[in-house]
Amino acid sequence: MLTTLILGLVLGGTYALLALGLTLQYGIARIMNLAYGELTLIAAFVVVAAFQAAGIPPLAALIAVVPAGYALGWVLYTVMMRPLVARSESRGRLEIDSILATFGLLFLIQGVLLVSFGANFTSISYLDRGVNVFGVSVALNRLIAFGICVVAAGALIWALARTRWGLVMRAVALTPGSAPLVGIDVNRVARQGFALGTALAAAGGVSVAMYQTFSATGGVVFTMKALVIVIMGGVGNVAGALIAGLALGLIETFVSTTIDPGLTMAATFLIFLIVLLWRPQGLFGRG
Amino acid sequence: MLEVRDLRVRYGKHVALEGVSLKVGAGQMVAILGANGAGKSSLLNAIAGRIPTQGGDIAFEGQSLADVPTHALVERGIAIVPEGRGIFPALTVADNLSLGAIPERARASADGMRADVFELFPRLAERRAQIAGTMSGGEQQMVAIGRALMSAPKLLLLDEPSLGLAPIVAKEVFAALKRIRDTGLTVLVVEQNARATLALADFAYLVEAGRVTGSGPAAELRSDPAVVRAFLGGAMASET
Ligand SMILES: Nc1ncnc2c1ncn2[C@@H]1O[C@H](COP(=O)(O)OP(=O)(O)O)[C@@H](O)[C@H]1O
Ligand SMILES: [Mg+2]
Repeated sequence: MLTTLILGLVLGGTYALLALGLTLQYGIARIMNLAYGELTLIAAFVVVAAFQAAGIPPLAALIAVVPAGYALGWVLYTVMMRPLVARSESRGRLEIDSILATFGLLFLIQGVLLVSFGANFTSISYLDRGVNVFGVSVALNRLIAFGICVVAAGALIWALARTRWGLVMRAVALTPGSAPLVGIDVNRVARQGFALGTALAAAGGVSVAMYQTFSATGGVVFTMKALVIVIMGGVGNVAGALIAGLALGLIETFVSTTIDPGLTMAATFLIFLIVLLWRPQGLFGRG
Repeated sequence: MLEVRDLRVRYGKHVALEGVSLKVGAGQMVAILGANGAGKSSLLNAIAGRIPTQGGDIAFEGQSLADVPTHALVERGIAIVPEGRGIFPALTVADNLSLGAIPERARASADGMRADVFELFPRLAERRAQIAGTMSGGEQQMVAIGRALMSAPKLLLLDEPSLGLAPIVAKEVFAALKRIRDTGLTVLVVEQNARATLALADFAYLVEAGRVTGSGPAAELRSDPAVVRAFLGGAMASET
């Protein structure tokens, strides 16, 4: 039972981190990014390649991969999203356009990953010796992956709630129409939000690479789960996403150990449907 | 300080302003009076870079403001309180005020300015932790004006600050405007309440159907028979 709890929390930490990035991109830049899981996979494959080819440990790669994710997000927003934003008169139009555009991007990235890394499942063994946690043996790589998620999510939530930068982000997310009145360049903030979301996708990818087995076609699963968590937590609700992410990790681990591993996806979407029908504003959203 | 020349604004085929010119001198409070639909908001929004113009020029401290976006104008010292207030209803009063001080130019003076705003509107000090959207219309107007002041503006643009407020609350807002004027801040205010506004302003322009149809020192307009008939008679007079 304790094993399930700890493994569930580790998995949930990764999910929560992925969901935070997606919710930032949607909440601040108003872009529903269907290629989000593929961005995570790019980071995961880069980490694996660096480890296998040059022996660079994932923790060292993290320092380069996260800023690179930010830069990639910045470029993607400027080249691909900005024209969509510029021509959309309404928010609904931008949402539809961004879903179509990022759906295309999904297959583009997937194709590049398939060509570069093949279709096989990949994983690495890095720091996989067991560590005793409350009497349960947990692989060190999972603990480190969890640590990355806790630090990244904690820093983000603190910055959003406590800093001037965070106040600007919240202002743009909540009332973009009023932001220019206080001197905020909404376009610049949207680009920052999108880039930061991509950086979190990359951090999530590093954490995935450390303890999970993954393949070039599996990105959509990350996107779906992140989306489920965002909706469960309440769209734009950062703390809600964090809690929902941890909860989903716990539920999946519980279902796969006590019922059947094949049912994890089914359990995820059952919960998703219940939330959608019962509380469409999310478990923690304002009614 | 501000000079508008021959400004034209259209919405599609509809002409809202057809050649409006006005001047606001440093330290002055200038009023724009006109009926509903005269083009007052269009004029203010054009100055603040919130809508595109189809001709004419707007100069602030001698520099043209053509193509300067709203957010950059705040940095230059122009703050606007638009019709509808444009606050952040989901954030607290304190956060709304802090956002006012986001521009680079306002950061050093933010603490002093916040104290001034709380002195001007003691209610905001009492309610600083309240979500702004849950406040009354008059209180939200105070938040909007307070936030504009937080940006340490050189020029304050106000669009119908008394619109939709109960007479007693409107009176409070005008009292605050008087105190703001007395600090020497340059103010351009749009109003329908001509009597209260002419009592405060130095100079006023009358706008009808997208044109300036009259102008003069506020003291003179107050006793101008045509103005009295158009703006100060009947219902208007009883409002103050
Ligand atoms: N966004 C808009 N689209 C079309 N017409 C508009 C728009 N805004 C204002 N108008 C029209 O322009 C004219 C001037 O409006 P406005 O500047 O809001 O007047 P005021 O503030 O003096 O009441 C009105 O006839 C109004 O109907
Ligand atoms: Mg108006």
